[in-house]
Amino acid sequence: MEGLSYARMPRVKIRELKDDYCKFELRDTDASMANALRRVMIAEVPTIAIDLVEIEVNSSVLIDEFIAHRLGLIPLTSERAMSMRFSRDCDACDGDGQCEFCSVEFHLRVKCMTDNTLDVTSKDLYSSDHTVVPVDFDANTTTTTDDNNNSRANSGIIIVKLRRGQELRLRAIARKGIGKDHAKWSPAATVSFMYQPEIHINDDLMETLTLQEKREWVESSPTHVFEIDPVTQQVTVVDAEAYTYDDEVIKKAEAMGKPGLVDIIAKQDSFIFTVETTGSIKASQLVLNAIEILKQKLDAVRLSEDTVEADDQFGELGAHMRGG
Amino acid sequence: MNAPDRYERFVVPEGTKKVSYERDTKIINAASFTVEREDHTIGNILRMQLHRDPNVLFAGYKLPHPLQYKIIVRIHTTSQSSPMQAYNQSINDLDKELDHLKTAFEAELLKFSRDY
Ligand SMILES: [Zn+2]
Repeated sequence: MEGLSYARMPRVKIRELKDDYCKFELRDTDASMANALRRVMIAEVPTIAIDLVEIEVNSSVLIDEFIAHRLGLIPLTSERAMSMRFSRDCDACDGDGQCEFCSVEFHLRVKCMTDNTLDVTSKDLYSSDHTVVPVDFDANTTTTTDDNNNSRANSGIIIVKLRRGQELRLRAIARKGIGKDHAKWSPAATVSFMYQPEIHINDDLMETLTLQEKREWVESSPTHVFEIDPVTQQVTVVDAEAYTYDDEVIKKAEAMGKPGLVDIIAKQDSFIFTVETTGSIKASQLVLNAIEILKQKLDAVRLSEDTVEADDQFGELGAHMRGG
Repeated sequence: MNAPDRYERFVVPEGTKKVSYERDTKIINAASFTVEREDHTIGNILRMQLHRDPNVLFAGYKLPHPLQYKIIVRIHTTSQSSPMQAYNQSINDLDKELDHLKTAFEAELLKFSRDY
């Protein structure tokens, strides 16, 4: 029995890659694996987020809980999260959740001294660990944005606004967690996959249509999937993946009395993934971490030795009773 | 005040086994595996992988209730195999698939950063 394997060998092709965005093709596997990866990326890949806030002074217009909630939602750079400990099973601080192995401390002290409204932002948070800091969205934005709105550039995430005399002073503890516990720990902004569509136009049937009918049919698709070649006047597929499985072109063909004009198949073993992160980890890292977490989860559901032993005894006993 | 802790959804309580196994009393080579603190993520990949095993006659999973954080995987095999063997093999095969996926993604990542 050893050596026999029903494992698949999936193929991957990356199409587009940015720090917080990744688009890739996943082939030779099934929807259960694609969906498991998607679910793990959203809810089970760990990040670091503020989880405990001690407010020293708060004379702002927002109540303490409001500010604490907002602090929790600020994405923090979480490359460290995979190797960090969960506070609940950290033995260094005995469940206190405040030691260096399982937490990062932040301080914020801001007071407005002028007549101008003062914005308190994620940039006012001072971290005890330089590897865990609020995500800086401006650091890696390309030159396109800072031309016309300089005021918005390099501003961080706004937490609260202060007027003259108002003050905010607090200490915050950030911990490792997963999206299943609270969505603030989810590294995913969006993770989605689609079946790769395969579109076959019945050319012979298509040629029985007049140019006007062809135009009408092409227009019936809500997304730009088909086009008419200006020279040959033939209908061609320009972007198969723009198809949203809406069935509109199929219904249109039937309404025109031309069923079977187009055949659209969702390939059951090919997926196109779109992964976008909050900036807490890189999109490529999110995919790799998800694979790792899924492996760990599978390892955790292996049968334990004593279960196997108990069953062996049961088996022998059963064989005995059957007179074997 | 009396809300259950959020981590109850994914932390196996002390004294509870992650996986328990129960043979079917009437059908030979059939059994149920109760997996604590797991959901569709694991349930569905296990089921689909078990379907790839020709010795598996039936494989299914259910999440009995959304507030009971466990899944039940039921397996029925031919006499050539056993539910336990099929269960172990499906985990090994999935692990292998993920190993392959990891190297494939890393290789592609390397290629991608070189090319562009
Ligand atoms: Zn600790």
